[in-house]
Amino acid sequence: MREIRFYGHQPPGFGERRLPGRLIAIEGTDGVGRSTHVALLKEWLEARGYGVLDTGFTRSDLAGPGIQRAKQGHTLDPVTLNLFYATDFWDRLERQVLPALKAGMVALTDRYIFSLIARAVVRGVSADWMENLYGFAPVPDLVVYLDIDPPHLVPRVLSSTGFDYWESGQDYLPGDSLFTNFIDYQASLLETFRGLAAKYEFKTLDARGSVSDVFQSLCLEIEPLLREMDAEAELNEMR
Amino acid sequence: MSSVGETPLRGKLFIVEGVDGSGKSTQIDLLHKWLVSQGYLVVFSEWNSSPIVKATTRRGKREKLLTPMSFSLIHAADFASRVHMQILPALEAGALVLADRYVYTAFARDGVRGVHKPWLRKLYSLAPQPTIAFYFDVPLDEAIRRILEGRPALKFYEAGMDLGLSEDPYESFRIFQGMIREEYDRIVEEFGLVRMDATEHLIRQQQRMRQLVLPHLDGVLRFDGGEINTALTRAGLLGRYLDEDDVRTEEM
Repeated sequence: MREIRFYGHQPPGFGERRLPGRLIAIEGTDGVGRSTHVALLKEWLEARGYGVLDTGFTRSDLAGPGIQRAKQGHTLDPVTLNLFYATDFWDRLERQVLPALKAGMVALTDRYIFSLIARAVVRGVSADWMENLYGFAPVPDLVVYLDIDPPHLVPRVLSSTGFDYWESGQDYLPGDSLFTNFIDYQASLLETFRGLAAKYEFKTLDARGSVSDVFQSLCLEIEPLLREMDAEAELNEMR
Repeated sequence: MSSVGETPLRGKLFIVEGVDGSGKSTQIDLLHKWLVSQGYLVVFSEWNSSPIVKATTRRGKREKLLTPMSFSLIHAADFASRVHMQILPALEAGALVLADRYVYTAFARDGVRGVHKPWLRKLYSLAPQPTIAFYFDVPLDEAIRRILEGRPALKFYEAGMDLGLSEDPYESFRIFQGMIREEYDRIVEEFGLVRMDATEHLIRQQQRMRQLVLPHLDGVLRFDGGEINTALTRAGLLGRYLDEDDVRTEEM
């Protein structure tokens, strides 16, 4: 990372000021195509000779299994769930992302704090409290937000996994129509995402186009970071 | 910290804090028994006991996966879950809630581990404000003596071994507890905890606790413990085959 900054404060365990790697976060709602693009990016970067770490929610050793277990029950309130996710987030940051950045790799994260904030805020958790919670998160070198609208989202979701319980806000919305809840939930989620995108100055990409078009624009956004990394590496070699 | 809803809670919340070996658990246990014997409905909440979160914390400790931040976050998850499922509903219903350790434990331990203090306070702002928070103040040497007397094997995180203070668990424990005690001193001032002299005689401490609690008991929920005792007395039975806990839960 060019210079390590945090959204709130510097947490214990993150003492460095600069790191040779780069942290790239891909944000966007459920079904927008994040995972597809992370997979394509990984291949693209590796083909060009960069080491890549990819990570995403619930993949931590510490809290991943606990979250999966907890979500199967009916006893989880949004605040506890968020603290569970925050534990998972931090553990991956410390054990996966930080070592990769030290090693000069590109760390790709499928979702970052903003998905967690957006999901919690639409469920009534205070935005202020959530933003404080994730104050320990380092500001990535690039946050790309894949923007979409419900009419474009529906066919993508239907043609892949179908409407999911959590992705339709079924845990807190009234009524049992998965479709209606999906539309309502995603609409409020997207509104929250756009608010965050403006506030935190994400690079917003229109994700309504084809995978190949979106991917091309994504590569264009990342290209300057790679050039910068190369230049730094050269400079280090000369020293 | 009183930011839970607009209406004041009907129940009352009493909590105890202090370093290991301060005698706080003994005192709150005695208070618990007294309150129950007086016919009050008492809900007891223990640090680190949420059924949803406990397994993760245990795993993290066993495999030494926890660092200051993950230690802090997983304990906050445990606390939030207990507030939601146990503490808050009981207070809303007008019951008495007793807690062995509360947010101040996190402020002290995590603070000592280098976690950002304003962040911690905001993180725990979801906690209902205690009616009285007791701090059991004991000199470091006395606390260490009490702990080492009864329980010689120190656990990794309990001894603060994750902080690399010393290779020797006992030395590490001493330094760590000393740091926590200093942090508690600041917290007692900041939040106005009631300082109890934990070197006083047990009975004297308990008397003082009861005196302080008593004025707050008007109008809280009472519970007669079910009809079991009456049934036993009338029939002249001892209830040898009743598993009291099971029967109680059934009744409630």
